[in-house]
Amino acid sequence: MIDLAQNTLDGLFLGSSYAMLALGFTLIFGVLRRVNLAYGPAIMLGCYAATWVHLNSGAGLLALAAVAVLCTTLAGAYVERLCFAPHRQGSAIAAMVASFALWMQLEELATLALPRHIYPFPPLHGGTPLEFGALTLRVESLVMLGAAVAACAALWWILYRARFGIAVRAVIDQPGAAQLAGISVPRTFMLTFAMASAIGGLAGFLVAASHEQVTPMLGMMFTLKGLLAMMLGGLGSLPGAVAGGLALGLLEAHSQWFLGPQARDLIAYALLFILLAARVPWMTTRSAS
Amino acid sequence: MSLLGVEDVFTAYGKIEALKGVSLEVAPGSITCLLGPNGAGKTTLMMSIAGILKPKRGRIVFDGTDIAGRAPHAIVGRGVALVPENRLVFPGMSVRENLLAGAYQRGDKAAIEEDIERMFGRFPRLKERAAQFAGTLSGGEQQMLAVARALMSRPKLLLMDEPSLGLAPLVVEEIFRIVADLHKDGATIFLVEQNAHMALKVAHHFYLIEQGRISFSGTPGALAEDEVIRRAYLGSSRA
Amino acid sequence: MDDYAIGVLTNIGLVSFLALSAYLLLIAGEMSFGQQAFFGVGAYAGGILTAMYGWPLPLAALAAMALGALAQLLVGLPTLRLRGLYFAMATLAAAEMMRILFELVHFQRAIDGEAVGPDGTQGFRGIRWVFAHGVEPIEYLAIVYALLVLALAGFLLLERSRLGATLRGVGEDPELAAALGVDVNRCKLGVAAAAGALAALGGVLFAHHNTYIEPRNFDIMLGVHSLAYALIGGLGTALGPLLGVVLDIGALEGSRVFQGYRMIVFGGLVALLLVWRPRGLLDERTVRWVKQRFS
Repeated sequence: MIDLAQNTLDGLFLGSSYAMLALGFTLIFGVLRRVNLAYGPAIMLGCYAATWVHLNSGAGLLALAAVAVLCTTLAGAYVERLCFAPHRQGSAIAAMVASFALWMQLEELATLALPRHIYPFPPLHGGTPLEFGALTLRVESLVMLGAAVAACAALWWILYRARFGIAVRAVIDQPGAAQLAGISVPRTFMLTFAMASAIGGLAGFLVAASHEQVTPMLGMMFTLKGLLAMMLGGLGSLPGAVAGGLALGLLEAHSQWFLGPQARDLIAYALLFILLAARVPWMTTRSAS
Repeated sequence: MSLLGVEDVFTAYGKIEALKGVSLEVAPGSITCLLGPNGAGKTTLMMSIAGILKPKRGRIVFDGTDIAGRAPHAIVGRGVALVPENRLVFPGMSVRENLLAGAYQRGDKAAIEEDIERMFGRFPRLKERAAQFAGTLSGGEQQMLAVARALMSRPKLLLMDEPSLGLAPLVVEEIFRIVADLHKDGATIFLVEQNAHMALKVAHHFYLIEQGRISFSGTPGALAEDEVIRRAYLGSSRA
Repeated sequence: MDDYAIGVLTNIGLVSFLALSAYLLLIAGEMSFGQQAFFGVGAYAGGILTAMYGWPLPLAALAAMALGALAQLLVGLPTLRLRGLYFAMATLAAAEMMRILFELVHFQRAIDGEAVGPDGTQGFRGIRWVFAHGVEPIEYLAIVYALLVLALAGFLLLERSRLGATLRGVGEDPELAAALGVDVNRCKLGVAAAAGALAALGGVLFAHHNTYIEPRNFDIMLGVHSLAYALIGGLGTALGPLLGVVLDIGALEGSRVFQGYRMIVFGGLVALLLVWRPRGLLDERTVRWVKQRFS
């Protein structure tokens, strides 16, 4: 029983990072109708940039977070200009393959700068975890959850209270009409990419700080988890991205505990496959041309 | 001095050359209609003026400047608003948000609110449904919403692409009554239609387009109405 | 020709089967992130049959192809009604599941006092049929390319046939094809079986060339790469994916200059290339142009 509760907690915290990754993917997919395979690597580049700064200066955590977010956003802008802007009215597949090419490029850039297999990253909180009876709560996890909530709140505010949000929702809802309403679609794409990159950069920073390390596997990991969570929650739905991320986290935490790491991944993929094959309504509503 | 001058425009739609040298004028303060059968190029012309399609050749002079090939949002900024074929409202956004979207380029919040009230005054049915998702509105209500959204940008020229499409006759009458009202309030309207009968009732000047070229230009009455209707639906044998 | 060059050329040939497998699915309108799994099925099946049960390579290869086809059908059936990104993600999920299964399989037999067989993440060593039977590297290269040429011949015949036109029709507009009386599902399943067999053939040859395989060989990177080869080389002809393979592996080996930052250069070039040529180098338009010039 305690195991169940502890795993659920751990799963929620894990799921918070997945939710943020999924939000980033979903923003790009919902607005641009494209899959960005360079999203994970851009975040990895941000993490690596923060690591580099950490190794070469005594910068504090907030500064490192800023570096991660900034570098991810810059990398994202680069990807947007090279892979997505040129194919805006053209082929979705060309954009995706181009983003894959940049995936390779960004990963190599990161590993050239920091070639070792593992680098230490400063923890968010050096102290002992909090204890509530038999349950353990790492402070990192609370921060992660808090950051995810804050990111969702900020995103919600932008989409529903800020003027720019109308542009984003209009492009998501009916791109043909958005132009006619005087909304600059290219500019909306750029700013959406920036938002997605910022959220991703924050997620990446928090993951690195939670694990207290960065490795070259981060790019692939961010991409896979983000894609998986996005699909589980229903492609193109922002609330779905959050739900999918949390669900994935919970699933992983529980299966890992009871069945080990390989089963954990196996179950997640099996679930996705079954849900897709069964074409459950919430997952297959949005056209993914 | 015409408000809009289309000069010898050629536009391709995919691989098809849909407009083969179209020239026409819209006088300020008038209601001008473009009639013609399906596939003649009416929508292509509208999209070319609105900037969604880029003409291969020719000029589109609006208020003294050539706007051909400019980005759609820039053209809206200059004062041209298109009510598209099939309405194209934002189905997942409320009626009010649809109107706000139409005013996207404007910064004057107070005036925008006033305009929204004015739209609600002109289209009471929209006011009833202000918080509803636009996707749940009926065809006629969506048409009104699309017109209201276009008006929110305070355009100098209002383009309307087949406003009667898919609507019941009573609703169509209402739409054209709105068109006449807008004109009375000083709007310049360029309207594309297949429903020649209704269009001729409001138009000051009309053009016939067939197979990508203008085949007739004149005032209602210059051509017998049944001749116009025939050519608007079927085209003439010599275009 | 030195051993190194033979090795590179053989590698190009092996990966080409994978690229052709992805290409076949692409022209039928399906984007698969999972062909690497069937490559793996072929590799493991072929290796098990020759190294553990003493089967001759040709027979093992045929059996591996059959298994590859079956495996791809098992994935293709439940996903028949999926399109675009949904289909792609389903194939990715299936492929990762298979890779994890490879990690979980421990199945060994004692052969001459040694344990031979797949050993989970430790991999599967000792697939030595080729060497045990005295096949020289250059002879193996010839075999690989002979089979590749056969496959290409098959593709070129397909392109000219009505079946090929039907497949491209299904790929471009399945509803229209169905309205014209094409049994779209049967086409898709047929393509799936063929693609699975092709990938598995590449896998068998790969396993026997390397003598050692491990689950990590068959990860997502390999799959996305094989898809990319087809999309970069061009979708107009079966030579397109081959061009993609040659460009990538050729760039890997040929770019001593760019040692260490090969992907930085190559990745950027590919992205730029796609701006100019969204459907790849040898896209349909180019192929038509070439055909016109030579007829």
